[in-house]
Amino acid sequence: MNDKIKIALFLVLAYIAVPLALGSNAYVIGLIVAALTIGGIAVAWALLGNLGGMVSFGHAAFFGVGAYVSALLTLKGGWPVFPSMLMAGIGAAIASVATMPALRLRGPYFALAILAYAEIFRILATEAKPITGGAAGLLSIPRLPIVLGLDFGSKLGGYFVILTIVAASMAVYHLIRSSTYGLALKAMHDSEDATRVVGVNSTLLKAWMLAVSAFITGVVGAFNAHYINFLEPDYAFAGQWTTLAIVSAIFGGYRTVTGPLLGALVVYLVDQLAFKPILPQGHQIVLGVLLGAMILFSPGGLMPLLLAKKKGPAHAA
Amino acid sequence: MSKSKLCVSALALSLMLGFAPAHAAEFKIGAEIPLSGNLARVGTAMNEGIQVAAEMFNKKSGKHSVKIITMDDESSPAKAVGAVEKLAADGVVAYTGGYGSNIIGPASEAAEKLGKVYVTSGGVASELTKRNLKTFFRINSSEGYARALMGMFNKQGVKSVAVVYSTKEATEEVAKMLQSGLGPQGVKVTMHAFDPATNDFKPIIHKIKLQDRPDAIAMIGYENDYVGILRAAKVLKPDIKTIAGVWSLATAKMAAEFPDLMENVSGTSTLSYPAEFTTPEAKEFAETYQKMFNKAPDYLGIFGYVQSKLLFEAVARAADTGTVDKGGIATEMRKTLSDTVIGKVRFDESGDNPEFTHRMGQHQAGKVVLVWPSDAATGTMKYPAVPW
Repeated sequence: MNDKIKIALFLVLAYIAVPLALGSNAYVIGLIVAALTIGGIAVAWALLGNLGGMVSFGHAAFFGVGAYVSALLTLKGGWPVFPSMLMAGIGAAIASVATMPALRLRGPYFALAILAYAEIFRILATEAKPITGGAAGLLSIPRLPIVLGLDFGSKLGGYFVILTIVAASMAVYHLIRSSTYGLALKAMHDSEDATRVVGVNSTLLKAWMLAVSAFITGVVGAFNAHYINFLEPDYAFAGQWTTLAIVSAIFGGYRTVTGPLLGALVVYLVDQLAFKPILPQGHQIVLGVLLGAMILFSPGGLMPLLLAKKKGPAHAA
Repeated sequence: MSKSKLCVSALALSLMLGFAPAHAAEFKIGAEIPLSGNLARVGTAMNEGIQVAAEMFNKKSGKHSVKIITMDDESSPAKAVGAVEKLAADGVVAYTGGYGSNIIGPASEAAEKLGKVYVTSGGVASELTKRNLKTFFRINSSEGYARALMGMFNKQGVKSVAVVYSTKEATEEVAKMLQSGLGPQGVKVTMHAFDPATNDFKPIIHKIKLQDRPDAIAMIGYENDYVGILRAAKVLKPDIKTIAGVWSLATAKMAAEFPDLMENVSGTSTLSYPAEFTTPEAKEFAETYQKMFNKAPDYLGIFGYVQSKLLFEAVARAADTGTVDKGGIATEMRKTLSDTVIGKVRFDESGDNPEFTHRMGQHQAGKVVLVWPSDAATGTMKYPAVPW
């Protein structure tokens, strides 16, 4: 089966079969929406990790900034929700500029620096009380709107919105990876110095990847704010937005385009639908064990395992 | 059939159809509550009170009964929304539980969308009752905590208070209420905010000792904050007459874990320690709690019990009028006027309980004695008295 047929099948399944089969079950649709939210961040995180070669521990910063930008534009600026979500992505991308000095750092130093940025943004949101409401946060954030008779504020409507965001993010990931920029980024994985010698501005390319990744994460954050109608600094910049995304991306296979989404769906849905009913408290431990096993037995993640492809050392493929 | 017989038959039929009592039924009630995550301890305690309320209601009711379906929200706002939706799919008619204003906010909005009553005691932020929700009810509030502190300070004749408060939402709110309540009474109030991450309180206490020189220090924070403030005060020994705080201070846990710091410290408290129950209902509650969980109840259990009891009674009344699925539970909740084990409860249009006023307890020789108001007191207030 070629890739185009696979994509068509995925889209038919996601946009038609899932709503037809599960549309009446608000709880399960709600869980899928939550999984897709994690999936969206996981795709953005994997894009930066795979193409930019940077492991970020601070994507919660972009998630939170996006969420606040959209919530404030709609609540205090009277903006419509969808344009605000787009501005949220731009806001997060602009916020990523502040983190760009960290691009000169490598490995764990970059990861720790960007983690610090997430904390800085959380403190800023807490202290800017007249604008953000401070620690009390923002309640009753406008829900997703009704457009042309379609109620995006409903469970199913929210599902279509986040699905579209995630699908578009994956398409962007794929396009970048297939472009000449993607080729340059792959080359940087093997030797950044050698790539610089042939005229590739590696710092600029990394900065672009960071901005794109932040944009996607910001839009996902904005969606979440309008979906649950609530925001506070501790929640918006919570470490879970980063850790769950990392776990999902690694579990699914962060060097593939579909792996992070698959990882998020499996990690979140299996946890909530299978492990939680059996082990109401402490069910996350099962996931921890599974993740450990996955890293040991299939370091490339679930996707390569499913495809049973035995390739050479993984890189920005 | 004669006309009179026909009339009697018609009357009997109309009575049966229109006025006959509704059939006894079992109603599913959703308990959305944190049983894991950072709020697990408080959520678990509240959940125990909810279970006791169900046990006592089912034992007494004789007609309608309730079945609690509990779902852990994992201390997460998003999962709380999911839990509310899952419980609705399971057929619950209303919700009790919730802990943390940040979790109660989105969860109660989800309940509002579903048209189902949500009652809680786990969030005191005033924003929660400013949303014009029709199905949200709360039995406690920030005002009740501030009123209790002010009541005790007034009784003591305190003329100046230094308020040391965390910049978290609920704590800051209580601190500001204390300031705006005591100021007009001629009490000099100085405010000292601290970041929730603060663990060294010596600079603040030093400033209070040398600059403010108040009669009292009010601590508006959480357990770790109290310990930090009291340790700093024990070192610097400011010349005050009393020191008091709010929630999670006048508790058995603090008495047991920090006996060297707690003597003579006062805090809001529903219960004395060891617990002394005076009313028949409170005694029955304590006995049932002991029987079910093999331990004495704490104040969170009492709040969980009261909110749930009031909800079950409203469900039963709505069932009698056949309006459970027609908004009747919210209507009946608004008709509530009850003298409960935490005091009087009624709900205003916003769903808040304007009657709520906490009690004040004081640590005395390893015990917690209720010292304010006088009608709830189980001992004599020590004043002036500080832990050092």
